[in-house]
Amino acid sequence: MGSDSGWKRVLRGVLLTIVALFFLFPIFWVFLMSFQTNETILRIPPSIVFEPTLQNYVALISGKLVSNAGVLEIAFMKNLGNSLILSVVSVALSLLLGVPAAYAFARFKFRLGEDIAFTLLSFRFAPPLLVLLPLALYFQSMGLIDTYFGLIWVYQLITLPLILWIVRGYFEDISEDIEYAYRVDGNSWLRTFLKISVPLARPGIAAAMLLAFIFAWNNFVFALILASADKQPVTVGALAFVTASGIQYGQIAASIVLSVTPTLLLALYAQRYLVEGLSLGAVKG
Amino acid sequence: MLAGSGWMEERSMAELVLDSVTKVYNPKSRHPVTAVDRVDMPIGDGEIIGLLGSSGCGKTSTLRMIAGFESVSSGEIRVGERVINNLPPARRNVAMAFEGYALYPPLRIRDNIGFALLRDRHPAAEVARKVDEVTGLLEIGDILDRYPPTISAGQQQRSSLARALIRDADAFLLDEPMSQLEPQLRAILRARIKDWLITRKMTTVFVTHDQTEAIALADRIAVMEGGILQQFATPNDLKERPANLFVASFIGEPPMNIYTASVYRDGDRLGLIAEDQAGNEAFRVALPGEDAAPAPHRQLRDGQRVHLGVRPHRVRLGEGGLLGRVTSHHWLGDQTHIGIELGNALLIAVAHGIFEARAGSDIAIALPATSLHIFDHDSERALFHGMEPAERAA
Amino acid sequence: MSYLELHGVAKRFGKETVLEGLDLAVEQGERLVVFGPSGSGKTVMLRLIAGLNDVDEGTIRIGDREVTFEAPERRGLGMAFQNFALYPHMSAFDNIASPLRARGESMTEIRRRVTEVADLLKIGHVLEHQPKALSNGQKQRTSLARALAPKPPLLLLDDPLRNVDAKLRYEMRLELPRVLRQAAATVLYVTQDYKEAMALGDRVAVLDRHRVSQIDVPDTIYARPATPAIARLFGDPTINILERRLEGGRFDLFGQDLDIPGAGSGERLLGIRPEHIEVSMEPSAGSIPVVLDAVTPLNVRAVLLLKTRDGHELLASCSEEEAARFPRGHKDVHATIDPARIHLFDPGSGRRLDASGQRLDGGAEHG
Repeated sequence: MGSDSGWKRVLRGVLLTIVALFFLFPIFWVFLMSFQTNETILRIPPSIVFEPTLQNYVALISGKLVSNAGVLEIAFMKNLGNSLILSVVSVALSLLLGVPAAYAFARFKFRLGEDIAFTLLSFRFAPPLLVLLPLALYFQSMGLIDTYFGLIWVYQLITLPLILWIVRGYFEDISEDIEYAYRVDGNSWLRTFLKISVPLARPGIAAAMLLAFIFAWNNFVFALILASADKQPVTVGALAFVTASGIQYGQIAASIVLSVTPTLLLALYAQRYLVEGLSLGAVKG
Repeated sequence: MLAGSGWMEERSMAELVLDSVTKVYNPKSRHPVTAVDRVDMPIGDGEIIGLLGSSGCGKTSTLRMIAGFESVSSGEIRVGERVINNLPPARRNVAMAFEGYALYPPLRIRDNIGFALLRDRHPAAEVARKVDEVTGLLEIGDILDRYPPTISAGQQQRSSLARALIRDADAFLLDEPMSQLEPQLRAILRARIKDWLITRKMTTVFVTHDQTEAIALADRIAVMEGGILQQFATPNDLKERPANLFVASFIGEPPMNIYTASVYRDGDRLGLIAEDQAGNEAFRVALPGEDAAPAPHRQLRDGQRVHLGVRPHRVRLGEGGLLGRVTSHHWLGDQTHIGIELGNALLIAVAHGIFEARAGSDIAIALPATSLHIFDHDSERALFHGMEPAERAA
Repeated sequence: MSYLELHGVAKRFGKETVLEGLDLAVEQGERLVVFGPSGSGKTVMLRLIAGLNDVDEGTIRIGDREVTFEAPERRGLGMAFQNFALYPHMSAFDNIASPLRARGESMTEIRRRVTEVADLLKIGHVLEHQPKALSNGQKQRTSLARALAPKPPLLLLDDPLRNVDAKLRYEMRLELPRVLRQAAATVLYVTQDYKEAMALGDRVAVLDRHRVSQIDVPDTIYARPATPAIARLFGDPTINILERRLEGGRFDLFGQDLDIPGAGSGERLLGIRPEHIEVSMEPSAGSIPVVLDAVTPLNVRAVLLLKTRDGHELLASCSEEEAARFPRGHKDVHATIDPARIHLFDPGSGRRLDASGQRLDGGAEHG
């Protein structure tokens, strides 16, 4: 130790700074862009010295986009609301279905159990485009296209496998004896599940919930095909900024900042759970 | 690196010395942890040393510093005159058996055990012969062609031990080498391993939490607690001359009977009043008269508070002036454990073979002054062992 | 009729048979120790009785009810687990109170019972602690308290002292009889430590090869083990087992001609307990010259590893004081074996043979 620890520490600091810059710079740049007009954004060379303006945010919140071509109505706030509805309800439904299912997969060995679990996971591997076209046709004929119900249903493909696999790992980590002890105390199977298993897996459930929420929030392609302007989340809504008269970089940046904020706050708040959940549950599963 | 070019050039001369060795974890943080605190331990060539203590006492850190897996915060580890603090593990020529076995999963047990010898280009026939010998010793000759994950924990541990014992190293470091051994094999394997180590003059340091194992194998034992070396002595000295109350209560099964007591003097008569848990008088023992044992007389004051200890198999049963009541009676085949109530204090006594006593009956016992251990009340350091001052040679 | 009865019980996990044709009857108020090597199915048997696993074959009766397929929460028994199985998100108090709550006791009654059982086990001062703040010994006591709290008529203890250190284990070995007597329950106690079995059992059932291979008072199992396997499991150091051909009770033991009157003729397995081999520095009538390979102390005794002229190993044991007579490095000693103390087994059936019907060990009448 001793002599070499000095330059080792400096080297570590330098490397960490480089990595941090690499990952954080785009976010930082977008943040700056959201306070600029298109003109300042597009000037060459770019500069971080500019006169900040709130006009992008005003446009988004008021829903009126003033451009060279005139006034354009945009439904950003509506899109934000849609994102919230879709993500929250999808995750809630996935928890309701996924937590008991994860428990079943963790505790009971049944025929085809592993195959079913793996099939569910494989939904995460398959390219969405593979299923989208037939799905769109089916949804059309079933009248599910452009409904919250239909979208939330499809979102289960994203959120359910995630919750299932992370939470399953957590349930497997709980000693069977703890559940047995509670049964012998005189409690039913269901009560044991609710009072022992679920509370003990809570960090895993929280982590899975967060991840599922982020994935649902960020989804683009399902909503692009299966929803119209009325039901669009922000990810799809942002397309509206690509107008005939040009791309509204300032508004895009502002909308990114606004739409990232909820997930960012959530993730920061629950960072501890998130890391723990990823490293424990996910690896084990 | 060539075999045998280790840190002990003159094998017969080398002594492994731990000189004020200290290990501090997170030294610069707000809560540095001193895992090993100024441990002095001279280890002779061919000596078998046990590092004994409960978990977190610093014994494994000490072993890992000798192996070179852990840096030494201060102090020196020397072999002969050479300081080896900064040698990497590979250049220390030590053989180690890991607590987690650390067998190579893709290799058969045979190849695991012979690995180091084959790497050092020993002839295949010689390696095969040595593998046969060491696996016969440890009774794993029948699993040599199996792979580590397919055998039991006990067998894995024996394989890992074989892999260390087969080597021609300067020191053998064994981390909990027998914790998983099948109970029926324990006694015979301990004896065979001890014979193997002594016959080959192998300098050995092993870590264990099991005092029975330490006492069975070691020439000398280092009892550690809280990072501090409590006593470094032969098994017999640990039993007969424990340095302090911790060692006294840690060593021995059944554990030593220990009571808080106070000294009484009545003219030239001297004795101890032992107390029960509630602090009331439980029984009295007389110490020899003034002419017979001058030492205690000079040092013990009337009313002085002490701890009194007596090992269970030194209690004389069926004779003597103390009357107790038998509360429990367990025959274990080759020995009998008897629980006796003296006043409200419990005394455990051990008899070899069968000793008849019915629970609830009265029994006369004697606590000979020669088997009493007396410790200072506050410092808990030993004052007398069997009426001899504890500071005799230590 | 016995209080607890297992009849023809079998349990398999996949292709692996754990229990097969297991019969067991436990009397009311009895403390039965179930002893066996690891992997013998002791824990599985307790789980079957508790209803945590289903039996594949056979029936289980508790009291006058058949409970073979009854849910665990309806069997009304208490159980303590090897790994303690405390609820990590509840305080010690709530852990102990759990079975009382499940039984719908009032809050005052719960408080009274928890305090009572906590005092009995000397953990009254840590009731507000979370399990992770408890020492190993306190965890063990808490788990025991939880099992005892509802005063179950049947108590299943699954190697409860396995995970505490040697000193605590010894203390609990002394304390448990008093605690269990207070509980006034029928107790099934699982252990793989024969000393614990001998110290705690009114009777001991040895579980070996999927079933109970011997059930008796502990002293008898030690003194008259039914099979060589039981003899090997019960005793430390392990019994020496040799194969010899007897001619009218006579046989050769490492050059000495020994005689077990009335033991008949034929192949026999001889079991010689280490404490029945006497080792001395000087030869005597009937002694065998052996080499003393190693002396390893074992608590208050010492184990001697002896090697005969033809390279056979024997384990002997003696008191610590006697062992001190052999100087370090001393090799040539003499062993004397009393033929009357040799256990005889039939190598074919593996059953114990009592040729002459004589008592082979005085310990058998002890109890």
